Amino acid sequence: MRKEVPLLITFVVALIVMLSQVTTGNIPGLGVAMPDLFERYISPWMTVVSAFSLCLASVNLIVVHSRNISRKQSEWIYSLILLGTLVIYGAWCTYIQINPDNTAAASNYSLIYNYILSPLMTGQWACLAFYVASASYRAFRARNLEATVLLASAILVMLGATPVGGVIWSKFPVIQRWLIDIPNMTGQRALLIGAAVGSFVACLRTMLGIERGHLGIGGS
Amino acid sequence: MTIAPGNVFGFWMLIAISALVIYTIRASERGKFKVTIRPIAGLEAIEECVGRATEMGRPVHFSPGLGDIVTTSAPDTLAALQILSYVTDVAAKYDARFLVTIRMPNVYPLATETVRQGYIAANKADSYRDNMVRYVSSDQDAYAAGVIGLFHQEQVASSILAGLYMGEALLLAESAARLGIMQVAITASVMQVPFFVAACDYTVIGEELYAAGAYLTNDKGRLGGIAGQDYIKLIVIGIILIGTLMTSAGSNAIQSLLTM
Repeated sequence: MRKEVPLLITFVVALIVMLSQVTTGNIPGLGVAMPDLFERYISPWMTVVSAFSLCLASVNLIVVHSRNISRKQSEWIYSLILLGTLVIYGAWCTYIQINPDNTAAASNYSLIYNYILSPLMTGQWACLAFYVASASYRAFRARNLEATVLLASAILVMLGATPVGGVIWSKFPVIQRWLIDIPNMTGQRALLIGAAVGSFVACLRTMLGIERGHLGIGGS
Repeated sequence: MTIAPGNVFGFWMLIAISALVIYTIRASERGKFKVTIRPIAGLEAIEECVGRATEMGRPVHFSPGLGDIVTTSAPDTLAALQILSYVTDVAAKYDARFLVTIRMPNVYPLATETVRQGYIAANKADSYRDNMVRYVSSDQDAYAAGVIGLFHQEQVASSILAGLYMGEALLLAESAARLGIMQVAITASVMQVPFFVAACDYTVIGEELYAAGAYLTNDKGRLGGIAGQDYIKLIVIGIILIGTLMTSAGSNAIQSLLTM
């Protein structure tokens, strides 16, 4: 039963989702269309399952970070900040829900987000510029034929994309456009088609119960 | 109930290719034909990754990506969980310290169960710890920051990134590269492939993500599915070629057929 029930649920739900994408009109005898069946009966379950999963995950987060603090592990201060923020946000949001008339509390709720979290995130993404440079340096070292082709393509694309490239030679932007539109797009589309087919077959294997590793009950 | 207009060809194609894949899976299981997959260096390197971490006495990190199991990213996440199952087996065998970081709460129970069952199957239930699988954050930026923090804090030796990735791919991979962490990235996210190629030691791309489970387990049924996948690709190539020729000749019969 431990194997059969999850596999049966997977098969039935997958079939409903699949048919809801390609069919129209009511199911004979049931008086409801496949897309409605999905919206009415499957979709709410997804919310319920997600809520339970979030609860489990939050418990894990609290346990791991509480342990970090109690054992004074390295960088435990960040665990303290995380749990502190969690408590403050939770308490604040609860207060706003209980006192909807307190507009000052509601408007100040986003202060932490706007003035602490948002600048931190912007800073984090700004690091990407330097990361792109250092990763490109490693990738573009002409160690073999592939890396040399990559290096030559990168130089041409950079020259075509910057205003100075067009000033040096008017054909650089044309070459850049060709590199992006033809060889790059060809490769990307081949990858996409392969991935789409692979994705479909993976779904079919899961639907038929051939893939069941995610259920923690072994392979086929 | 009828097939929605515009989906007629898609519906019958779905039935036909499903039947084809089921046939190849069953035929492979019964030994009617033998399926072999070419060596994939990135997947071969997983054991090296775990072995390296074991020798160094430091943890091996695994991430099943940023995808969920209830959206279009589900196949990527499920494929990543198949790989997690294999990595758990290897980590349990080597007694390596193992860390799994999770972004989506829905993936957390599945990953926990996969790792727990992996340790039980390897007769290493005592080695399993409840903090091996860690939920970090469902926010993309916070997840990246949390994992990078964990790289520093736990002095991770190897990292395996499998599944769907978005803009934070380079943040994770380049941070790990700077720390000298050995990395294997396995993804079908086309836009992130260049970043992984630049920053990781091994990169497994595109459909290889979905073939990884079959490759690592050498399971006949799964290998049959991969063969079916190749037959579908031949059909797609055929349709593209015929469509290109017919369109060049001024006929739009293929477009009409596809949008029936």
